[in-house]
Amino acid sequence: MDISTIIFIILATIIVVSSVSVLMTPNPIYAAFSLAITMVTMGFLYFSLDADFIAGVQLIVYAGAVMVLFVMVLMLFDLEKETEAYSKGTFSVFLKLMCGLFLTGAVALSVRQSIKGLSDVAKVATPAEQVETIKLLAGRLFTQYVFAFEALGVLLLVIAIGVVAVARSRGGTHARH
Amino acid sequence: MGSDVFEITVNLVKMLFIFLLMVQLVPVLVWVERRGSAFIQSRFGPNRVGPLGLTQLLADAVKFLMKEEFVPAQGKKLLFYLAPAIALVPGAVAFGSIPLSCPVHIQRFLMLQHWWGPYDFEFQSFHFGVGIVFVLGISSLGAYALLLAGWGSANKFSLMGALRASAQMISYELALGLSLVGAILIYGTFDFTEMIAQQAQVFNFELLGHAFHLRKYGILMQPIGAILYFSSIFAETNRLPFDLPEAEGELVVGYHTEYGGLKMLMFYIGEYGHMMVGSALFVTFYLGGYTIPLLTTTQINNLFLSMGAGPNVISILTALVFHVAFFAKVLFLLWVFVWVRWTLPRFRYDQLMDLGWKTMLPWSLANVIVTAVVVAYVRSK
Repeated sequence: MDISTIIFIILATIIVVSSVSVLMTPNPIYAAFSLAITMVTMGFLYFSLDADFIAGVQLIVYAGAVMVLFVMVLMLFDLEKETEAYSKGTFSVFLKLMCGLFLTGAVALSVRQSIKGLSDVAKVATPAEQVETIKLLAGRLFTQYVFAFEALGVLLLVIAIGVVAVARSRGGTHARH
Repeated sequence: MGSDVFEITVNLVKMLFIFLLMVQLVPVLVWVERRGSAFIQSRFGPNRVGPLGLTQLLADAVKFLMKEEFVPAQGKKLLFYLAPAIALVPGAVAFGSIPLSCPVHIQRFLMLQHWWGPYDFEFQSFHFGVGIVFVLGISSLGAYALLLAGWGSANKFSLMGALRASAQMISYELALGLSLVGAILIYGTFDFTEMIAQQAQVFNFELLGHAFHLRKYGILMQPIGAILYFSSIFAETNRLPFDLPEAEGELVVGYHTEYGGLKMLMFYIGEYGHMMVGSALFVTFYLGGYTIPLLTTTQINNLFLSMGAGPNVISILTALVFHVAFFAKVLFLLWVFVWVRWTLPRFRYDQLMDLGWKTMLPWSLANVIVTAVVVAYVRSK
């Protein structure tokens, strides 16, 4: 067993344990922290696969911004009592496990279908090659897929404007009476 | 890591050295902060223990170690102990990926009846092709330490501090990232070493009948980006004028209200580590990294050659000279941090958010667009 296999096993174990505990913990804040651990470890898994750029973006966007916001909002509303009523007990644990296993099976099946017939993709190793991949990625994103890219941007803008509109009508932080 | 025992050993020692460099700079910075604040406020500062109060820190360390272990009764024990440990990680890891000097080249040599080499050692713990993306990603994890501390302490003041901290860090991360984009567009790379190599180039121009030879330092090409970046690292490191997560007049000391002794010290080390990463990034992006103005690598090499040194010794000594230059720049910026802290008053929270979202974000976006247009025009010529 070489060192990259050992690293993969360690990272994969952390990911599985933390993502199962996202489902199993009754406390929403612990669940959010477990999800954050999953996100960070996913980032390191990408690093170990030499996909440095995706790894960095994963850390910045998901682990650094999205999950911090999640945790922050959950701390603002202390939901411990309310959610424990729903998420404790044998039946709900059973339900959660079944849903999780079903999703895992569906994803695993579709991954197996899509990688069928693909040979091993050439690995990029040196920092210089990494930079070339980023340039390639940027070129594709801003020429071939520019419409989809811009449409996603507009979608996010719509969400942001919608949130501001909803929050303002109930008297947000800058409401004027 | 390396291909043989010698290379692996050197790389491990290098990692340890860079980590210790970061941690050992913290006591010096604490001393500078205390003496500097005293100097600015016309006081004496700590001056009783040892010459210039230098050994005050040793006494403080002993005090921190002897303090009582304490966890709040309602607190979450695991999170409470985890938070200070997590606070240390982002700074230490991010600092390791910034090149602190030029690479050292070692030629083949004989040791223990065995030929070793040739080797190229980079003056950084690890080299990622996407340097800046990695550093920004790792530093953005710093918010978790504050959130864990605030939640785990089961204290209203701690929680308020943690909430303020996370909102502030997310808001200013945008301005910080965007202010760097202009410089990244000009250099056309994420790699620190390449950025520094590009800044070492000289551009010549004539003004009022005088010929000027200037290095292409980032601060000359991206002055607005440099100012925006420098202001947003104050917010990212939670220092005055943006120290609302701590705000001792309003929140006791914010997220680390319940912490004492060595655990509080670890938060301090984390904060100073963040400052060091921020300053090192500023030096790498805008002040030419480890390069020295008016002095080229060849000139330094020739100087050591005239002293009669061998090629390996020359390489090591040149790297050390550049390392000192790099640290001189970083230390100057760290002094600016102290200087600003004891000069400016604290912002109000709504002023802080308005500055981040309504002033710095539009300016950095405008900077990106103007830079992109200029870069596209220059490259198409």
